[in-house]
Amino acid sequence: MSVNQAINNGTGDLNLPKAITDLPRSNPYLSVEDYDPEGDLLVMNLGPQHPSTHGVLRVKLWMDGEVCVKAVPYIGYLHRGVEKLCEHRTYVQITPLVDKNDYVSPMTNELAVNIAFENGLGITPPPRAQVIRTIVSEMQRITSHLLAVGTWALDLGGALGGGATAFMHTFRERELLLDCFEELTGARFHYNHHTVGGVRHDIPESWGTHVIKALDVIEGKLDSYEGFLTENQVFKARSVGVGILDPKLGLELGISGPNIRASGVDWDLRRDAPYAAYDRVDVRVATQQTGDCYARYLVRIAEMRESVRIVRVLMKDIPSGPICAVKPVKLPGAVKLPPNLSAYTCIETARGELGTWLVTPPGKKKSAMPYRMKIRPPSLHALSALPWVCPGNNLSDIIAILGSMDPIMGEVDR
Amino acid sequence: MISPEIIGLFTDTFGLESDPSEGPWVPSDKVLSVAQALYDRGFTYFSYCAAAHYPATEEEAGYYNVSYRFRRVGPKGEQAAFRIRVLLDAETPSLAGIWIGADWQEREQYDLIGVRFSNHPDLRRIMMPEDWDGHPLQREYAIETPHHPWR
Repeated sequence: MSVNQAINNGTGDLNLPKAITDLPRSNPYLSVEDYDPEGDLLVMNLGPQHPSTHGVLRVKLWMDGEVCVKAVPYIGYLHRGVEKLCEHRTYVQITPLVDKNDYVSPMTNELAVNIAFENGLGITPPPRAQVIRTIVSEMQRITSHLLAVGTWALDLGGALGGGATAFMHTFRERELLLDCFEELTGARFHYNHHTVGGVRHDIPESWGTHVIKALDVIEGKLDSYEGFLTENQVFKARSVGVGILDPKLGLELGISGPNIRASGVDWDLRRDAPYAAYDRVDVRVATQQTGDCYARYLVRIAEMRESVRIVRVLMKDIPSGPICAVKPVKLPGAVKLPPNLSAYTCIETARGELGTWLVTPPGKKKSAMPYRMKIRPPSLHALSALPWVCPGNNLSDIIAILGSMDPIMGEVDR
Repeated sequence: MISPEIIGLFTDTFGLESDPSEGPWVPSDKVLSVAQALYDRGFTYFSYCAAAHYPATEEEAGYYNVSYRFRRVGPKGEQAAFRIRVLLDAETPSLAGIWIGADWQEREQYDLIGVRFSNHPDLRRIMMPEDWDGHPLQREYAIETPHHPWR
């Protein structure tokens, strides 16, 4: 019985993979005094400066020999006060600011906040803008997953066919899509492409053929990554059965995206609550049942293939017409939202549910600045699983777990 | 949007009027029973906990608007949400005993906004340094507020 059937039957209880949910679970709230180690406990700091923490993250580990008994993550090293800055910027100025949150997929960050503003204004972007938004979101998903897979294979180390092989290959293909973004917006990262009511840049001539050409290359290369990773004995020894995430625990922690789908939860906002032009395509959601690092890798590879397919389908039929529902904004304060509003909107990024809780000022006047804007980052929730997943694993496995969760610290700390 | 089933639950069982997107204002003595009722109905996914700060004005006392949102994962994407009005010197019960994910989210709201949660397992600062003064997302807190030297 799938998750969908369980819900439709009204049982309310998800049919989660039983082999995982029955595993014994460690309790991170216990004090270290409660453990009875074989030797002396060694306190170890992983980070804050460590290449495989994917940013500036510190994890304090209590090690019993080579095995971790307790892990406490310390975050906030990259805290820039984005939510405070958003309260002092107008709606138009916020878009380039949130680019820097999840700095490997800026397109989806912009989309998340702009959907929230449009929801507050009550406007819908024209169909052409919706399709462009969907295409760039899916391309961004591919670049983001390429980075995740490549850097993770690098973390797993030198045994994988000479260290940085997979990393170099995935970054080479990622470059092809970044070139397409550059052609569209003029920037390789930090695009400032989306705006309130639509998009800023229309598709240049023959951009579609460039994208399709890049996708053809990437689709072929996905088979070659699988050739040197999926069936690689060393890779499997490092990842199969390591860092198993219990789906029940994962849902309570708020983990979404590929991390929770690898644990057997069939849930994707692109299919379940379509935004932009996702109602035009049939999104096939990739899931795995084992919930370990290997399953998270398999889900990412399958999602890249699915994204390639979605972009191809949408490219065939791009509607003509305007690309923005409102007049092009000249002054920063031109977009004003009604007062006393508070609403939540969310989209599915490469890492999961990226939400925006937008509150506008109390009173009677329209305002060009938000009163409070909470960004709900998927990576923060993924990191909060570390104290639960790490105990019982070797130190080298903790590196594998951290990389397979694919956290982006810019988004965690904001 | 909150599912109609849950809006019905709020009105019939707890007698609370709901906003279609943000849910009802739940009085602090009912918070835990409302939360447990949602969890028991399959809303096991913890989406977020967020708070906004409203300083005291001439007409009314200052308060925090603490908003929670949960989800029953699946094809319908049903959401449930409620909010709590917490006076500036009061506490609100932590939901970390029901959803584990509330632990870090409530720590973040405590750190940045200053909402205090009672019975929280581990209420420490999460984003700001341990020796930071004040809560930066409060409305009176200026961006240029001087701080201790970075360590």
